[in-house]
Amino acid sequence: MAEHMPRILAIDAGGTMTDTFVVDEAGMFTIGKAQTTPNRESDGLLRSFDDALHYWDMERGTVTQHLMATVYSGTSMLNRLLERRGDGPIGVLVTAGMEDYFRMERAAQTYAGYPFSDRLHVVTHVHNEPLVPRKYIKGIRERISFFGEEVVPLYQEEVRDAVKALGRQGVKALCVSFLYSYRDPRHELAALEIAQQVLAEEGIDIPVYLSSRSNPVRGDLARLNTLVVEVYAARPSRLQLFDIRDRLRAEGSSAPVRVLASYGGTVSPDVEWLVTTLISGPIGGILGARRLSEVYHFENVVCTDVGGTSFDVGLITERELLTRTEPTVARFLLTLPTLAMDSIGAGTGTLVRIDPAVRRVTLGPDSAGYRLGVCNADSGITVPSITDCDLALGYINPEYFLGGEVKVDRERALAAIEEQIAQPLSSDPFSAAEGVVRLLETQMRDHLYGMVLGLGYAPENYRLFGYGGGGPLHVAGYTEGLAFQDILVPTWAAAFSAFGGACADYAYRYDRSIDLLITPETSAREMVAQSLNQAWEDIRNRIGQEFQRDGLNPAEMSFVPSVRMQYLGMLDDIEVRAKWPIDAKDGLTSLIDRFDELFAKIFARSARSPEAGYFVTKAIGVGILPTEKPVLPKFPLQGATPSINAHKGTRKLFWRGEWHTAQLWEMDRLHSGNEILGPSVIEAPATTFLVPPGRKAVLDAYRVFHLNNG
Amino acid sequence: MKYDEKTLSALISGQLPWAETKEIMSGGKDPDRFRMVLEIVQSMVSFTERILLPLGPHLYIVQKGTDRIVKCDCGYEFGDYRTNWKFMSRVFVRNSQESLQELYHPDQGVDPDWMELREFYCPGCFHLLETEAVPPGYPVMFDFQPDLETFYRDWLQQPLE
Repeated sequence: MAEHMPRILAIDAGGTMTDTFVVDEAGMFTIGKAQTTPNRESDGLLRSFDDALHYWDMERGTVTQHLMATVYSGTSMLNRLLERRGDGPIGVLVTAGMEDYFRMERAAQTYAGYPFSDRLHVVTHVHNEPLVPRKYIKGIRERISFFGEEVVPLYQEEVRDAVKALGRQGVKALCVSFLYSYRDPRHELAALEIAQQVLAEEGIDIPVYLSSRSNPVRGDLARLNTLVVEVYAARPSRLQLFDIRDRLRAEGSSAPVRVLASYGGTVSPDVEWLVTTLISGPIGGILGARRLSEVYHFENVVCTDVGGTSFDVGLITERELLTRTEPTVARFLLTLPTLAMDSIGAGTGTLVRIDPAVRRVTLGPDSAGYRLGVCNADSGITVPSITDCDLALGYINPEYFLGGEVKVDRERALAAIEEQIAQPLSSDPFSAAEGVVRLLETQMRDHLYGMVLGLGYAPENYRLFGYGGGGPLHVAGYTEGLAFQDILVPTWAAAFSAFGGACADYAYRYDRSIDLLITPETSAREMVAQSLNQAWEDIRNRIGQEFQRDGLNPAEMSFVPSVRMQYLGMLDDIEVRAKWPIDAKDGLTSLIDRFDELFAKIFARSARSPEAGYFVTKAIGVGILPTEKPVLPKFPLQGATPSINAHKGTRKLFWRGEWHTAQLWEMDRLHSGNEILGPSVIEAPATTFLVPPGRKAVLDAYRVFHLNNG
Repeated sequence: MKYDEKTLSALISGQLPWAETKEIMSGGKDPDRFRMVLEIVQSMVSFTERILLPLGPHLYIVQKGTDRIVKCDCGYEFGDYRTNWKFMSRVFVRNSQESLQELYHPDQGVDPDWMELREFYCPGCFHLLETEAVPPGYPVMFDFQPDLETFYRDWLQQPLE
């Protein structure tokens, strides 16, 4: 085996498995998997790293020192929030009269995350258990208006009393979030000073967080939620990240450990505002697709990720990624810039039942998740899953699931399908299982078709990437009948998210609400330009400090200023790149032009409505430092016929009501240029690629399959 | 979805955790559910008359001889189910500031000129069975008069007798 020199270690720590993606200087990579160890994540991570290295016959001890970059993404922070296992108690100071934020939840949080049917079904709405119990929330009399004017002064004695009381109640941190503090933070700053004084007098050493410091944006419940989640869920994760960094350092690595943030950049675990890394798993996939799109010079791409519990779709349109700023996560409204993804709860673990009233197949909403399905005898699952159907239909090799690590029993799966699905439908188990899989794939297809159509495009305008553990298996099904320009399946589909994380920039991003109207008047334009320049300068300095703390030179950073803006009266703002500094004349005019153009791309030219003016909602700054990224190696193309040692035999598979004899191939032994005709199944330890009858898969120079019509 | 008797008993007595309750609320009903629920509620009451339909908290429509009557789980009988059982109950009307402020904070609550609260109690066990919030003078509401014949014949496909 050739010598490898691992340079990049990318980690995707899921709830069940920790995937590592190790890249060498030539861009060759190896994938490792190990069970996630939530109590000490570094254990699972190092095991997964070892697993990846063993494919190269290498030992961790000799290679760690050569790492240039380590990128972490994971779901542990999100799971801590979902399972309500966070840190506390947390003390909260809010504007007097607003103490019941967490009990009222703007009502919207009582059905957050529900399917549409349950939103209408009011008896199912329920309030969340507050992350901060009422007794730790104190109201302070003060008021800043929407225009940033002081309406009621800060009642300083009330701050003193509240901090003293909370300190004695044993809170571990203090969060301060006053109304309109994003407009003018002076009351929060004054409260901070008083709080620090009182805490010093009391001899209590706890941190104080201000909503205006890291997240000065509109939306008071979402802003407070985000601040509290930072303390509740992100702080404990920080310790895990430090532990990972310490252990890699102890092994000799000098590479900084970076964490993937939801806006698509990576940050140091030392970052003040770690909550930005709350959602990172599915983000990686989009970044990986963007990286590949650059290599192939693609303009429009649909990214599809089939996991065990969900199907995530993201769009890259004319090379632009859409960012949303107010995601709902774990039933909380948050203000976090997040790459736009739309998910439906349909994955390979989705459970399948027959609705007894109408005798129709229903999918989910629950999932077997990592327990796979009935086929896994140890799982305790009794209801068949999509994986069970895939097994029954001959799509999956029962001897080679996760490279043979997990024993799955096709007979068990088949018996469950026969009893629970086929008999109630008076069907044979194979037709029933195929019907189920087609129903799932139809839901997926409708979902992504709707997203593409919703932007005023057609599949003919896009290429599609299929990845995630179940992507290669179902991509042929969920794209059937949609005329995408091309369908691409990377050979490293199973670790594509980790790969994407490795492609992310070292970047800090801060948002700030400014809410300014651009009218034709000169004075208004002057004010907009001035406010934007001031905001960008503040943000740039802030990011400079972050890089300095990370031991890097802020002078080398490239600063990308942008705004979020909308036509006045519209509800959705979009992100537009800007130039800094901006002037009130040409600068602002070209910003408006860019917005008009982008709006037409994302929505429709005919929907533009500049008559009432333009509204700038936010100033945004991203600071980027160059970092080591994987290069994609290019392999020489060989003949269309695969080598005989890649052939593994044949298997019967059931497709569209008929049995076919499928050729079986080992993915690793296929070469660039090889063409695989369907019906075929291409197997790898971590994933299975199904090439149905009449289709053809061609492996290109970058080891990405293209699924064509045969 | 089919649930076992233990789960349904817990659901009926309010002992089931919210997550499971929500799942049952959002899921489909299996055809056997009504029969199982009837069996459970029948085992919970002290009287022997056959329950035809649960009517609300504490109240059931039961077969008594040839009559179908509303009966409280304490055994008190309200009479024919086609007549509003509230006529046979004890009523307490809150239509003054004083009586309303036993329930509401002075800054909250309602104006008794615009709304009154009527509380209907069982004369047998004095459990609160139902509350109405209506404008003064509004007729007593007849909440629910089920069409038992059609329900049993067309939906359950079982004899009612």
